[in-house]
Amino acid sequence: MAQKYNAIVIGGGHNGLVNAAYLARAGKKVLVLERRHVLGGAAVTEEVFPGFKFSVCSYVVSLLRPEIIRELDLPRHGLEILPLDGTFTPMLDGDYLWRVNDHAKTRREIARHSRLDAEAYDEYGKAMIEMGRFVKPILGMTPPDPKSLNVKGLMDLVFLGRRFQQLPLEDKYNQVQLMTMSAVDFLDRWFETDVLKATMSASGIIGTFLGIRSPGTAYVLLHHYMGEIDGAFRSWGFARGGTGAISNSIADAAREAGAEIRTRCPIAKIIVQKGRAVGVVLENGDEIHADVVSSSVDPRLTFMKMIGEEHLPNEFVEDIRRYKFRGSSGKVNLALDGLPNFTCLPGAGPHLRGAVSISPSIEYMERAYDDAKYGRFSRHPYIDMVIPSLTDPSVAPPGKHVMSCFVQYAPYNLKEGTWDERREEFGDTVINTIAEFAPNISELILHRQVLTPLDIEREFGLSEGNIFQGELTLEQLFFLRPAPGWAQYRTPIRSLYMCGSATHPGGGIMGAPGRNAALRLLQDWKRGKV
Amino acid sequence: MADARADVVIIGGGHNGLVAACYLARAGLKPLVLERRETVGGCAITEEFYEGFRASVLAHATAPLLPHIYEDLELARHGLEFVKPPVRVLALNADGPALAVYDDTARTVRELEKISAHDARAYAEFRESFKTIGRVLAPLLTMTPPSVDKPTKRELWNLSRLGLKFRGLNKRDAYRLLRYGPMAVADLAAEWFETETLRAVVAARGIYGALAGPWSAGTSAPLLLQAAIDGHTLAPSSFVKGGAGALSKALAQAAVSFGAKVRTGVDVMSVRVVNGKATAVVLTGGEEIGARAVVSNADPRRTFLKLVDPTDLDPNFLMKVRGYRSLGAAAKVNLALDRLPSFGGVEAPDANARLAGRIHVGPSIDYLERAFDDAKYGDYSKQPYMDITIPTLTDPALAPEGRHVMSIYVQFAPYNLKEGTWDERREEFGDAVVGALADYAPGLRETIIHRQVITPLDLERDYNLTGGHVLHGEPSLDQFFTFRPVIGYAQYRTPIKGLYLCGAGTHPGGGLTGAPGANASREILKDLKAGRRS
Repeated sequence: MAQKYNAIVIGGGHNGLVNAAYLARAGKKVLVLERRHVLGGAAVTEEVFPGFKFSVCSYVVSLLRPEIIRELDLPRHGLEILPLDGTFTPMLDGDYLWRVNDHAKTRREIARHSRLDAEAYDEYGKAMIEMGRFVKPILGMTPPDPKSLNVKGLMDLVFLGRRFQQLPLEDKYNQVQLMTMSAVDFLDRWFETDVLKATMSASGIIGTFLGIRSPGTAYVLLHHYMGEIDGAFRSWGFARGGTGAISNSIADAAREAGAEIRTRCPIAKIIVQKGRAVGVVLENGDEIHADVVSSSVDPRLTFMKMIGEEHLPNEFVEDIRRYKFRGSSGKVNLALDGLPNFTCLPGAGPHLRGAVSISPSIEYMERAYDDAKYGRFSRHPYIDMVIPSLTDPSVAPPGKHVMSCFVQYAPYNLKEGTWDERREEFGDTVINTIAEFAPNISELILHRQVLTPLDIEREFGLSEGNIFQGELTLEQLFFLRPAPGWAQYRTPIRSLYMCGSATHPGGGIMGAPGRNAALRLLQDWKRGKV
Repeated sequence: MADARADVVIIGGGHNGLVAACYLARAGLKPLVLERRETVGGCAITEEFYEGFRASVLAHATAPLLPHIYEDLELARHGLEFVKPPVRVLALNADGPALAVYDDTARTVRELEKISAHDARAYAEFRESFKTIGRVLAPLLTMTPPSVDKPTKRELWNLSRLGLKFRGLNKRDAYRLLRYGPMAVADLAAEWFETETLRAVVAARGIYGALAGPWSAGTSAPLLLQAAIDGHTLAPSSFVKGGAGALSKALAQAAVSFGAKVRTGVDVMSVRVVNGKATAVVLTGGEEIGARAVVSNADPRRTFLKLVDPTDLDPNFLMKVRGYRSLGAAAKVNLALDRLPSFGGVEAPDANARLAGRIHVGPSIDYLERAFDDAKYGDYSKQPYMDITIPTLTDPALAPEGRHVMSIYVQFAPYNLKEGTWDERREEFGDAVVGALADYAPGLRETIIHRQVITPLDLERDYNLTGGHVLHGEPSLDQFFTFRPVIGYAQYRTPIKGLYLCGAGTHPGGGLTGAPGANASREILKDLKAGRRS
């Protein structure tokens, strides 16, 4: 006899869990089904090597919506964010740029490179805060569908229009440029120091298949800056116990609200009857029924694999086929016997407690992208490294360390060879690149885990290894995410909803998609539309 | 005190300046056009670059000129004749047959059927879709971008009319329109077609005149603009009999016939501003010409950073003008040919007919992107993207009997070179271009009698294009519509009362359409009428 639930949430990633928590809190009987043995999706902590706990994929946090932390009372459920202090960028000429949370310090450091830039750094921060203010309400909004505008949608558009109109001209100007320009062009307006622009613009390309000179990357800049301006915690940080701890705290909140969560439950199909989703079939054949199915996995898996084209309108199928994933990054996780020693700033100083960014110059970053454009991984990739064990000793044995390296570019489709053949070559490239700045790295490595885009797809169910469940490009944002006309968390299948990063406002450990989708679904429920 | 007076002084006799002059004169004003060079036309000129050989030394095709301007200004009466060969673009392939795209869809489909059934099918829908989208966008061309601060009722009305047209679109085209705006043209091309050459031809329009590659986001927007202009997405083969200069000549004649004055060989040094109002222009000779309005056909940077005293402008505005991106990446190479070279993949008998339109060199998306890569690092493209015309095939009078003229538009040639100067590297660049083209026309070198190379630096020095930008500024989303040239000043007016812009640095941007000139004249007339009333 098949059990019956109000809602089944597919995928126990942070968005799925947020979604479940909100549904459960509204009194719905919710079941979360996670394919893997651990919860969290890409926000997961795993003991990859004995004694060494890694935030295997996503490794820092800052975007998690404050209202979610508040409403789900996550601190009570064990969420603790430890500060990640600043970004350290070694340069090719033996110098470095070290930005920290202490504003005055950072100003002095930047002044060392350029007095003008030190001045501009303040103005830039102010401008970004203004723009963040403008964008924030949009994050929590269900995108209107411009083609079939209902009153609500029209009002939303008018609301946006008014908000924009009321901005001072300067902010309008910034906003427009932010939405359309490349990260470098945008930063050029403030700064002259090459390395400063290079390392700042790096956050503009994360998760996209774009270069720092590609228009549209300035927006991703803000997307990542958002965390630095939200009230909850002002800067990037680690979760104590690794990123998985975030997922666990959300799961805990969901369970407390009455949600049931099962791991090791891979789903074969979503059951569709008369155009309605009525439940799921597990790979072991079990059927579980529910009034509503809410999928936090990406559209390709949801619709092409679990639903099947035959149940979907052709145009929608085309749109999903066209939806761009294009994973462009890999991950290298290292178990270290000691700390890397950077030639430009020797010793185990506080600079290792923040992020270490291999983004020494604009040209370096751009050439890394050029490699990817023509189907090879960067010979000299952009690398963003963190050593959480310095801040949170619990993740490594005494005296040992874990180092997590986010690497871009690693295009999902290689022109030559397969990722299975080239995995270790890729790993070596990353190590050698780091060694150019910290020569001792090679001797320190006890274990190394190399995750290619292919591995990320296989292990974590992210199509083409895209960490945001689809590129954050303008034509895939807001009312176009994931498909025009279907940006409102609903799908062509009645009582099937989307709640993952492939919906507005997109990827990162933000939780907004899960929350927005839950609110939308609950509203539909009230109106008897489900 | 001004030595002379005119109702309106127009700085620069480019085609937009002349169009503006025509409309202003037609409305009963006495405009005076001041052109620095000896001939009017700016980028739309025909010059004898070698004895007996005349060419459109810069722009070699119209975008095309908006039909209603042609009608309004009775340009036919002033001898303007267009040449429109049936082939729109012929895309060369180093190995294999060239691909011809005709104005006629059915004929193009037949051509495509030889290579790809899929693309033949897709092409028909592609044309239809963009025709439809173009019809919706067309009103934008002749519309003054609305104010972003306080749009007037009329502006809102125009916008809502546009909104209604949009609502009228079928869902597919509507969403295409929304998606394509910010998209990389390489993606757009791949969505429709599988043939690499066809993808590249489509993508080419998106990067034309821009410092961008097909993988740069926003490069699809120019396709939408082209669709608005003539319902097509590819660059049109719309030439002028006698070369682009004949267009300017006809416009100048029209202007005079409407009562405007045109003076050439006079260089405007500055705009005189008295208590925030433009009152006159000062010529290099010191002569001063007073006017009720001063209209600049020069690019925004030259207008605000050279012609106007910075102290007359608000620093925030200046900051934006300095941020206006107008570093050019295009160059021109004009060849006088002893005979027509033979092109690989373009066989007789109808070779000449196929070569009569635009000739596209840039066989693949990667080729175009690599060409751009060179420019990113401050070098000209080793394998450049080329847009070529051989006007003598349709207009033999441009060269001596049996001889030919080849006009080569080249991308990328960045204004700022990392090594050396353009003066040092001009001929080396010319060799590179001829060399690259020789891969497609093996006998080319032997046919060359004379070669003229126009680098971005020459474009700036000889034609006053700041940064050598042929479109007066990047055709990118951040410099589009209400943001061209800078947000808050997209209505052809400037922070200085009585000073206007009418060039390619204003909406709807570069290309020989005449639209900026026509739109600007409309706003100027509004203000002058209002002024007369008050």
